[in-house]
Amino acid sequence: MSGEYASTLVTDETTLGERVASTVIGIGLLVFMLSVLAVARVVTEEASVLGVGLYDFLAGGLLAMGLGVFVVGVGSALGAFDTTPDETPGTVTAGAFGIIAAAAVWLATLQLGVLGPLGGFPVGLLAGAVTFVGLGLLSEDIGSTLPAVVVAVAVSGTVLTNLLTPAWLWDPEWLSAAFSGSMTIPTLTAAAALLTAWAGAKSYGGYGSEGRQAGAYLLVALNALGMLAVLLAVILFIVTKGIGPAFEGFSLYPFDWPFVLNGYSFRPDVVNGVFPAIVGTLYLVVGATVTGVPVAVAAAVFLTEYAEQGPFVGAVEIATNGLWSTPSVVYGLFGYAFLVPRLGGTTSLLSGILVLGFMLMPLCLITSREAIKSVPDEYRDASAALGVSQWETIKSVVVPAAMPGIVTGVILGVGRIAGETAPILLVMSGGLRDDAPNVLGSFEFTSAPPFVANDALLQSAPALPYQLYATITSGVSAENAVEYGWGTAFVLLVVVLSFYAVGIATRMYFRRRLNHE
Amino acid sequence: MLGSTLFGRLPRLERASGLSTKAAAMLVVLSLSLFATFALFLLNSPLAAVPLVAFVVAVAYGWVAHQDVTARVVTLIATTSTIAILGLITVFIFYRAIPAFRVMGTGLFGFTDPVTVFGVSLPAVETFWSTGSNTYSLVPMIWGTLVTTAIAMVIAGPLGIAGALFLAEIAPPMVRDAVKPGVEILAGIPSIVYGYLGFVTLNTFLFENLRMSNLGSLFLVGLVIGLMALPTVVSVADDALTSVPASMRDGSVAMGATEWQTTKSITLPAALSGVSAAVLLGIGRAIGETMAATVIIGHSQQLPQPLADVFASTETLTSLIASQYGNADGTHLSALFAAGVVLFVTVLVLSVGARRVELRMEKKLGGDP
Repeated sequence: MSGEYASTLVTDETTLGERVASTVIGIGLLVFMLSVLAVARVVTEEASVLGVGLYDFLAGGLLAMGLGVFVVGVGSALGAFDTTPDETPGTVTAGAFGIIAAAAVWLATLQLGVLGPLGGFPVGLLAGAVTFVGLGLLSEDIGSTLPAVVVAVAVSGTVLTNLLTPAWLWDPEWLSAAFSGSMTIPTLTAAAALLTAWAGAKSYGGYGSEGRQAGAYLLVALNALGMLAVLLAVILFIVTKGIGPAFEGFSLYPFDWPFVLNGYSFRPDVVNGVFPAIVGTLYLVVGATVTGVPVAVAAAVFLTEYAEQGPFVGAVEIATNGLWSTPSVVYGLFGYAFLVPRLGGTTSLLSGILVLGFMLMPLCLITSREAIKSVPDEYRDASAALGVSQWETIKSVVVPAAMPGIVTGVILGVGRIAGETAPILLVMSGGLRDDAPNVLGSFEFTSAPPFVANDALLQSAPALPYQLYATITSGVSAENAVEYGWGTAFVLLVVVLSFYAVGIATRMYFRRRLNHE
Repeated sequence: MLGSTLFGRLPRLERASGLSTKAAAMLVVLSLSLFATFALFLLNSPLAAVPLVAFVVAVAYGWVAHQDVTARVVTLIATTSTIAILGLITVFIFYRAIPAFRVMGTGLFGFTDPVTVFGVSLPAVETFWSTGSNTYSLVPMIWGTLVTTAIAMVIAGPLGIAGALFLAEIAPPMVRDAVKPGVEILAGIPSIVYGYLGFVTLNTFLFENLRMSNLGSLFLVGLVIGLMALPTVVSVADDALTSVPASMRDGSVAMGATEWQTTKSITLPAALSGVSAAVLLGIGRAIGETMAATVIIGHSQQLPQPLADVFASTETLTSLIASQYGNADGTHLSALFAAGVVLFVTVLVLSVGARRVELRMEKKLGGDP
């Protein structure tokens, strides 16, 4: 089995160089995190760490990092530490520092106001090229540490000598934005800390291929951590903002949940809720599932069981992939041009259902096809050997065996269309209202074709995602409009993400069972 | 088209299953009624309900009396419907865009000065987008979509691939089992939720801290879309990386290469087509992303001055459609459909490209044991 490559040939205690390098990485992580928080203005320049101003603290940390990297770099070159550097720092390192040099020189010419915005460009490129070639002449331990030291010392120097203060402002004429010192300083310290930590990680690994691995793993792991942190922060932010409004007036006994069970009554004394939108979303999801899923499963059965690879199947594959990737707003335009005029002439729930059904179809077709394909041929052969016809085999062997995969695909697909706004915007609309659409109670028989009428289906209905959009566009006049929006966003998030969680859990469950058999 | 496919298959069906006259009659009724339903619905006639009922009855009868033949035909119809829907989308979007092409000609892509792009000379337009003077040029919107997509992919591309590398190559199995489903769940956050977050929080944050002259910018839209596309890119690229046979990696490690060298020189090149397909899919998502752009951006149909000003408030193709369809009619509405055509064609080309790249990967790795 792969995946287990632990190779610890050297098991001595850590050397001095490694200790210095790991201290550099540790300080780097701290400086980087604080800088990111400062860019997000969670902490500001008014904050102080250990008695020093935040920005001076960041600069000081950076200076310490620079010194540490200088020690391990030069120490390695002088033979003080046991390392295995290559002859050159490599194209990636030299290129990265070249690009940084080019950007730094270009920005410096802009700051000094010489040469103009385009005139500084060739100068920057020249500086970058010189750096790139120059680094190629140095050995790896010097070539990959010294430039980082220069960057760290330069950034911390400009901050510590007050060349760059929080009050500093750069307002270029050609941008509608201006960069203040309080945003620029943490951005620079974050970038410099990352760069210096990278250099530190390389020396920690003793340069060479081990060193490059240490450096790369540091960056890749940091990236993964940062990504998850940002995405979790997004979810947590919405939850903390939305949980208050969503649970306003909630009581367990007697059970009452106004936000979920009330409509939008425009009355100040009653909690405005999203009940009609939840019902509307329910109708949309059920309707789209009823129209889209059977077609998708039938097509998947035909493609895997009956059809043979040929131009027809090729065309269907292209069409399916095309439908899968067609932007939702284009589906909306299509529904607006094709369905709306033919279904009563106004935006309606039925049009919304059909458009979402069209969107759901390719999603489910692709997953169902994969599921049916992965049913082992032995099942089919065994059934055929018993004299069972092809259709009976499909009906009682293949489709039941593929059912977990099909169901998972449906749940994930439904989760995606439940949050779709753009097509609903064009074909269904339906704003804030007090009463829920009553589709089941509105069926009537008529004497004229099409003989069945349903007013509720042919009217616009509210839906959660559209309602959230409506709170933005209509700028609901009530004073708690923003809170109402957060509450709606929270409910929508819970609805959609639970579809995803259930779908993914089902898939994991069946996969695990399949693997253990 | 549907009918002919069915009739073309009939003789074969007859030979294959020794079709009885009753079954053949049922199939004829079934296909004729489906065709009639479709035709009448296209003509916007309420009478479409009559053949629809006939179709349902024919299917019900066939299901009871001749299940295997019916199943085969019904599944064939379902399969054909994918092509039919794509065809209908194409026809209707193009059809409704024709008036705009007729009024504006190539001016639909015109700048304020006459220019020649790729050998096509484009006439000048007075203003880019004005319902008053009936002038509609999509150039600012195309630029907006280009810039936001580029910013989004600068974020989602490298970071997404690095994230996939972490999941596929570095993370221990326990971390991977926890993080991979989490990433997939994150891919499900609806775009309007991101949009609301951007509208309420990020817009004002950037406005205050970057002292912007306007709320909403291409930069912020690109940032948010990049964040949205990130989980998709990670998930698809991770699938591509894990599909590289373990034997290839083991071979490299056995030669004494470090794990990172193996990743860089063996796994990543082998999975390159799959990884680029992931990025292409991400680009397709970013181009078609509507709600976040609509809610965040400032809706001014102008090119930023100068072009490099990514903090200007302009418009993207998707946000143009979503924000203007409500009060549009005539040529104005048709111009919105023209914007839809541009989106549709671009994404379709990307999707076909991604599929080809993926097939190449399957072919390349399929031969290995």
